[in-house]
This record gives sequence, structure tokens and C-alpha cells, in this order.
Amino acid sequence: MSILEVRHIEKHFGATQVLTDISFSLEQGQALSIIGASGSGKTTLLRCLNLLERPDGGSFSVRGETLFDASDPATQSEAQVRQKRLHFGLVFQSFNLFPQYTALENVTLAGRLLAKERPGFRENRREIYAEIERQGQELLARMGLADRAGHYPHQLSGGQQQRVAIARALALQPDVLCFDEPTSALDPELTGEVLKVIRSLAEEKTTMIIVTHEMAFARDVSDQLIFMDGGVIVEQGDPHQVIDNPQQERTKRFLRNYQS
Amino acid sequence: MFLTVIGALNTGFIQTMKLFAVTLVGALPLGLLLSFGSMSRFKPLSYLTKLVVWVIRGTPLMLQLIILYYIPGQLMDHSPWPGGESGRFLASAIAFIINYSCYFCEIYRGGIQSVPVGQQEAGLVLGMTKWQIFFRVTLLQMIKRIVPPMSNEIITLVKDTSLARIISMQELIWAGYAFLKGSHGYSGLLWPLFFTGVYYLVFIGILTLLFGYVERRLSYFR
Amino acid sequence: MKKYTCLLLALALALMLAACGSSTTTTTSGTSSADGNTAATATDIEAGGDLEYVMDKGTLVVGITEFEPMDYQDADGTWIGFDADMARAFADYLGVEAEFQIIDWDNKVFELEGKTIDVVWNGMTLTDEVTSAMECSVAYCNNAQVVIVPADKADDYQTAESVQELTFAVESGSAGQQVVADLGANYVEVADQATALLEVASGTADAAAIDALMAAAMVGEGTSYSDLTYTVSLNSEEYGVGFRKGSDMAAVLNVFFAEAYADGSMIECAETYGIQAALIEQ
Repeated sequence: MSILEVRHIEKHFGATQVLTDISFSLEQGQALSIIGASGSGKTTLLRCLNLLERPDGGSFSVRGETLFDASDPATQSEAQVRQKRLHFGLVFQSFNLFPQYTALENVTLAGRLLAKERPGFRENRREIYAEIERQGQELLARMGLADRAGHYPHQLSGGQQQRVAIARALALQPDVLCFDEPTSALDPELTGEVLKVIRSLAEEKTTMIIVTHEMAFARDVSDQLIFMDGGVIVEQGDPHQVIDNPQQERTKRFLRNYQS
Repeated sequence: MFLTVIGALNTGFIQTMKLFAVTLVGALPLGLLLSFGSMSRFKPLSYLTKLVVWVIRGTPLMLQLIILYYIPGQLMDHSPWPGGESGRFLASAIAFIINYSCYFCEIYRGGIQSVPVGQQEAGLVLGMTKWQIFFRVTLLQMIKRIVPPMSNEIITLVKDTSLARIISMQELIWAGYAFLKGSHGYSGLLWPLFFTGVYYLVFIGILTLLFGYVERRLSYFR
Repeated sequence: MKKYTCLLLALALALMLAACGSSTTTTTSGTSSADGNTAATATDIEAGGDLEYVMDKGTLVVGITEFEPMDYQDADGTWIGFDADMARAFADYLGVEAEFQIIDWDNKVFELEGKTIDVVWNGMTLTDEVTSAMECSVAYCNNAQVVIVPADKADDYQTAESVQELTFAVESGSAGQQVVADLGANYVEVADQATALLEVASGTADAAAIDALMAAAMVGEGTSYSDLTYTVSLNSEEYGVGFRKGSDMAAVLNVFFAEAYADGSMIECAETYGIQAALIEQ
């Protein structure tokens, strides 16, 4: 069974239709890339999955649990939104690290707060916090930032900040990790280090959705690729197939602009 | 003579300090509450808060003091304020708290709205509650941004306390002025009034150092 | 949370008052400027009401300013002076406690009407403004508005005609302002009589018009203003005690004054403060 099922998602802002009939599914351990021009609805789709936006139609489920269904009000209660969001992680284009916390604190903050809701927290506070901190250190080490744990975001380069943000998203062990143009805010010489980290995550079979403008990267890393234009999925399938041999006219035009 | 004057000025200064402290303790949280009200998505509440802020900021504090202290007794068969100095202090404190919370409200609102919305979204996707996001993420960034306008407003407050003498709360300026009018067996003494300036200067000097310290303490992040 | 509720309630109260306050104040000033009628019309306080109110709460709050020799503090901070002593005696007579409250002189009518004081007893000149806004006692003390000039120029200004050319400093709303305006001289209004003296001393005004009793205590040899002196009296006037408009206590005070004058205690008190010559027979 697929880990993520997205069925007929619709979204409009006022009179503007932003997403139309978006459906796809994602298998455990797979990476899905979404490409398309600015304004094609890619980012809105990620925001819908993370429940930062409320879709106007359609539904989606993770591991068989329906997280949202526009036709079923029972799935839309505000109270459960917080729990449901934990199925997804989101890495923002502009990092959005918390500036007043160190790299390590950024990674561990949410975990420490969630730990308070665990039964038996009071008795084992010390052990629980130590464990969260150990995991945080480990994640930073995986990102190649072991020596930057005590640094504040403004003391780090853009690439380092984005890697901290990835560690922060991984810390809560989401079912699906989403990237919203993770390298678009970076200087060209810094994109490599971030892409390398995402690539290694793919090799470790992390389930991911990557919205990106890096065509070559999307082709090499992902198992599945979606091309969006004007809020609809124009073409979807094997990344090599879509990028090297597109079937749709719109896809061809878009890729031509990128290759030139 | 010097000691008599200093003693009287000290008494006035204590009143000034009390009013200053009570106003801060009341207006800092009330202002935050008002700023939440003015940013509320529940429109009637937001309009009501904005109306209150407009009325209070749009009229002189001196007038608010007179209305709050003298009008209730004219409408009722006795004045609701306790007799003597304590009633005058209480009325001053309430007028100052209301007045300053409206100014603080706007500063808070500016501070909260200047924190990028991405900070809040980052908190949301990490499963944090609204209150956790406010206290753990937004608050400190907001404080950092509002320290300069806040220190301005608080320094103004120190000097504004002298307005309370319109309802005969005997604060520092009143104490200094008394020696000009005649008090403690002296009259026509001008220097005590001018000398009150030294109290204000020293106290505001200390506040300035304090705000500088807070700004430095918060300079570890951007 | 409780504190916030209280504060919000206070806020609501303030707004409510702000809304209805403006109309109330206009009415008050409207009646006070109507005419100089001092008869106890008892419009807003019923007969027996104000006296009963004071007796009930057991204190007579006396509104004063520091004004030697009428109301001032001794070294221990006790209020003394002719007015203070008489006010205390009157409170004893009523069987209540006298409580002295320093007020801003500009707000004396506000203080009475807002019931934050019960009586203004502070060497108050009975002008038309005063008698129309308050319920006043009979006059108990003579006073005059005298001209204050620098001592070295005093010889040139001994008549009302000669001082007409001077620029005066007068207390805003005082009897002094009234007489200077009647005289036709130029004047500037300042906050109080002490400031008026300061204006003369610092040369920002040529002269001041203040109470004779105050002048005697505050200018000339041995005072803070030894290089000032007083010359011509511009009028003669009388001091009275002011209660809330329509109060029945003014009549009670008149009886008390008559008794105190008859048994000699009022004269004795006046002698203590050196104003016996100005005292009016009751």
C-alpha cells in the first residue's frame, strides 16, 4: 500500500484556481520531484499537504489514515491538525530557522516540547532530554555540521542554515519529508552541499517530495516526477522518461527554456 | 534648608516612582492583551480595541485624569475614590495604565507583525501549539524589535507622571513647586523646582543604561 | 486573569464616563456663569443632604493650598494657620474628623462637585465666580489686592493711576486678575500667586497683584523676596468659605462663626497668626 495517497485536491484563492484535480501516490522510501514554472501551484500543493492551507476539494491520506477530506468535516477539526502535521516535515525555501536558538536548539526544540506530552515525562525528564539532544547531535553530524551545533543561524552560511533546517525537519521522524525549492535562496556555489545532503537522504530511502528547479538533480535523485503547469499535473512518471523524452507539448516547452 | 527640601523632594520622588512602577506593571501586560485584541480575526473585538486605542491616544492624558477622578463623584452621591492621597494615586494609576497600555498595544502590534510569518509556519509544521509558537519563537524576536520604541515610551512615562499633579497627586514636580508657592516655612524658592530635574536625569540615566544592557543581551541573534 | 478583568472593567468605566462626562461639565459651567445669585437654591442636594452626608462618613475633607498664614504646615507636618485651626474647630463642632487635602486651586469646583473634598477653606476671596459656583459662608476676613513692585521703584507707583501703565502678572482666575482687568492694565496670567511674585522678581513682569495677607507674609524685609514691596491696594474684598452648590453646611458654618466670635475663640485664633486686624465681626 502507498504511504501517501493524494486524491483530486482542489484549491483556489478567491476567484483564482490554484490547484485542479491533483492526484498521485507515493510509495515508502521513494522520492517524488515536482517541477514546473513559478506560479504553477507546486508550493501551494506542499502547503496543503502540511495543512498550512486548507484544500477546497479532494482528500489525502498517509498510511491509510485520512488526514483531510473536503467532503468529511470530521477530518477537518482544528484540534487534530497539530497531530496530523507531524506526518509531514517541511523544509522551506527561506530556511525559517529560529534566530534566537543555536543550530542544536533549533533541531531539538520541537522534540523537547512534544516530550512534555508523553506519559512519564516528569519522572524521566533528564533522560528524555538527554536522548533528544543526542539525536539532535547525531542529525547535525549526518548533515556534516557536528562542529556547528553551538552556532546561531546568523553565524552560518546559507547552505549550512538549510542543512540545519533539514535536520530540524528530520528530528520528528516524519513519514514524508517535503522540500519547497530548498536551494532557490542560495548562492550557486552553496547549492551543491544541500543537494548532496538530499541525495544521501534519497539513498537512505527517506520518503520525500521535492519541489525544485534543479532538473538534472530531480532526474538523478527521484523515483517519480511530476510536471505541473497552471495548477494541473501535465505529465507524471519516470523522471528520465519525463525529462529526456517528454510527451506533452507544455512539458517540452518548459524544459526547452531550462536547457537553453 | 537643603535637607528639608531634599526630604520633601524625596517624598515626591517616591510617589513618582510608585506611579511609574505601577503603570509599567499594569500597562505592559494589558497592552499585550489589547494588541491581541486589535489583531483578532473576530472583527467586533478588533474594531472595539481599535476604537478604544483611538479614543485614549486621541485625547490628552491630563483630560483623562480629570474625567476619571472628578466625574464619578458628580454622577454618584459620593466619590468612589478612597479619600486623601491614596484615592488620587489610585485614579492616577488607572488613568496611566489605560493610557500607556494603548501606546504599548501599538508597539507590540508592530513588533509581532514584523516577525516574518515563516517563523510561525516553521513552528506549525513542527507540531507546536499557537502558544508555544508565541512564547518560544515569536516573543523574543518581538522583544528584540520593540526594545528601542519601548524604551522611548518608558522614558516619556517617567516624565509624564508629573501630569498627575492636575488631580493633586503630590509627585516630584509638585513637591518642587511647593517651595515656590510656600511650604515647610519656605516660599519663593525656585531652585527646588529646578533641582527635580536632577532626579529625572539620574533616573532616566539609569533606565538608559538598563535598556542598553537589554539591547546588548539580545544582540546575540539577528 | 482576575487582574485583567478588573483593568478591563476600569477601562470600560472610563469610556462610559468619557462619553457622559462632557455633557455634565457643560451643564455645571452653564449654571455657574448664569448670575451671582448666592441664595441656597438646593437644586441638586436636598435639604439636610450635604450635612448628613458629611456626618455619615465622619470626616470633613478640607480642600486647601499651602497659604501662609491661613493654611500651612508646621515642622511636624501638621496643618496650622487661621483657616486650618478654624476648620478643625468646625469639624469638632460637627463631631467629625477634619482631613486636610492639598488641591490644585484651578480645580476647586471640580473637587467639590466630584465629592473628593467637602469644603474649600483657604483664604478664598468671595468673587462673583466663587459665589456663583459654590455655596459660600458669610465673609470672615478682610483682604485687599495689593500691587507688588520692586522696592527701588516703589516710590513711583503709589496710586492706582500710576500703576495702570505697568504689565502685571496675576494668578489665573484670581481676584487679582479681576481687579487688574477692571483697572485696564495689561497682564499675563500665571499658575498661582507665587509664580506672579516670581515674575516680578525675575523682571518678566513689572508688577503683580496678590492678596494683602499673602503679601504681608511673603515680601519685604526678612522674606524670600526682600527686594520686593507692596504699594497701593486696588480694592477691598473679603474671604469666605465655600461648600458644594446648594449645601446646607454654609448656614451651619455661619452659626458656628457667630458663636466662635461671641465666645472670643475666633479672635484668639486670629491673634495667634497676626491677622486680628482683618477679622470681620460676626
